[in-house]
Amino acid sequence: MAKEKAKSKQEASEKTEKTAGKVDLELDLRGLMCPLPMVRVSQNINKVPVGGVIRAVATDPGSLADIPSWARTTGNEVLKTERDGKDIIFLVKRVK
Amino acid sequence: MNKTELKTITGVLEQGMNRQLLYYLDVCTRCSICKDACHQYVSTGDVLFLPAYRAELIRRVYKKYFTRSGLFLPSLYEARESDDRLLDELYRSTYACTGCRRCMYYCPFSIDTTWVLGVAKAMLIAAGKGAQILTELAGAAVSKGENIDLFKDIMLDLNKETEKELQSLIGDSKATIPIEKEGADILYAALAGVHSILPPSVIFHKAGLNWTLSLFESANYGYFLGDVEKGRIIAKRIVDEAKRLGVKEVVISECGHAYRVMQYLYETWAKEELSFGVTAMVEIIARLIEEGSIEIPSGKERKIVTYHDPCQVGRNAGFYEEPRYVLNQVASNLRELNPSREKNWCCGGGGGLVAQPEFDEFRIKTGERKAEQIKQTRAGLVVSPCENCRLQITALNEKYDMGVKVTGLSDVVANQLIGRDIATSFEAGQTEEPEDED
Repeated sequence: MAKEKAKSKQEASEKTEKTAGKVDLELDLRGLMCPLPMVRVSQNINKVPVGGVIRAVATDPGSLADIPSWARTTGNEVLKTERDGKDIIFLVKRVK
Repeated sequence: MNKTELKTITGVLEQGMNRQLLYYLDVCTRCSICKDACHQYVSTGDVLFLPAYRAELIRRVYKKYFTRSGLFLPSLYEARESDDRLLDELYRSTYACTGCRRCMYYCPFSIDTTWVLGVAKAMLIAAGKGAQILTELAGAAVSKGENIDLFKDIMLDLNKETEKELQSLIGDSKATIPIEKEGADILYAALAGVHSILPPSVIFHKAGLNWTLSLFESANYGYFLGDVEKGRIIAKRIVDEAKRLGVKEVVISECGHAYRVMQYLYETWAKEELSFGVTAMVEIIARLIEEGSIEIPSGKERKIVTYHDPCQVGRNAGFYEEPRYVLNQVASNLRELNPSREKNWCCGGGGGLVAQPEFDEFRIKTGERKAEQIKQTRAGLVVSPCENCRLQITALNEKYDMGVKVTGLSDVVANQLIGRDIATSFEAGQTEEPEDED
């Protein structure tokens, strides 16, 4: 039951982001350990247009510092970071 | 390549051309013994990955710009211009190397290819051709160190969650994972992630140690990148923390290169003597068992267990007996890989390769020998005290159907201490209340 609730909550969240036109690419990084969540975001950032947004869902706590630090040094921007149970959700905007 | 770029690259080469490098470039007789020692050359047959050729690329550039014979008769003396084609070859050859030093072990002159490639990496970085993802990872680590106050609250919150996991695992509601504890004896530098924090926490708690957890991860991508300055800054984060807290010993997590950086490279890089001891996780576990601080319960594990010597822990740091001593306490059927110890084959994932997607296919291909080696032992559990090795062997396990579970030395010991199966994973959230099943 709890699993279903979490799933529907997540689906709703994804739907909202998509319909609002904010998300250009979804990345499911759950289960990947440091530094792979950051590596995958870096690998995919050029797949969205400048101004585009990646919504990345990770579970590795290390990503909470890694992805914002990566964004800071590469000139991109983390618009939002939120936690939903074990999931850590990042909205990353390609700035340049 | 314009004149300024060329001057920069040759300048870096000249700067790195010390007696050691000159010796390496001079004594190689091209005997090619190293061809059978390198897992990458054995797997691919590509000369680019032959250790002697890796060094040869540097040697040819050296001849061209720093010897008269190479300057005036380049084709006769195999001298070569430093052009974009050479840099592309150098890139593939250099950043593909895992730095395992198996070639050095077999070389009659002990030529350290990793040392030569250190200069190659410096040249590539100067040419703006350093590995991009390693550059970004190193940059992020430096940035985290400079802006730690932005992340501290998040990390402290996460630590509270990990602490609850620890309390649940060991059945002690007062157990803590201290952070920034002044006067602690030990500063433990983990990797990012609960899997690297919980098992040592169980061990340290059971041993009654006065310890504290570092705010910084031990991994050092500046080292993999070959950027000494970034490597120094990344390691300095932990050094400064250790000094500030006044610890006597820094314990490095099960991460081969991180130990090597802190124990063998930092003092040279920083030109400062460390005021504390540096200990590898494998070393402290063996010590705690030997001195009786922790006791492994009787009833040894009977399933077949094998041990993979990480290159940076074994060949490059000399820890062969400690992990075997620990594993023989835990398991009654430890089966060696053939070959093992100083002759062990590299898993293929070191040198930062597991973090470089451009080498994914290559590292899986060049890891086939490791997969075969493990299969031959018929072990169900592979223990290796290095994160890169574990990630690589886990990937090989999927690709080559090895049917094994891969884990760390701290994990098997911590599991024994809390009465669990030694192969149980330490993951975030595993001690939560079970969810309802429909």
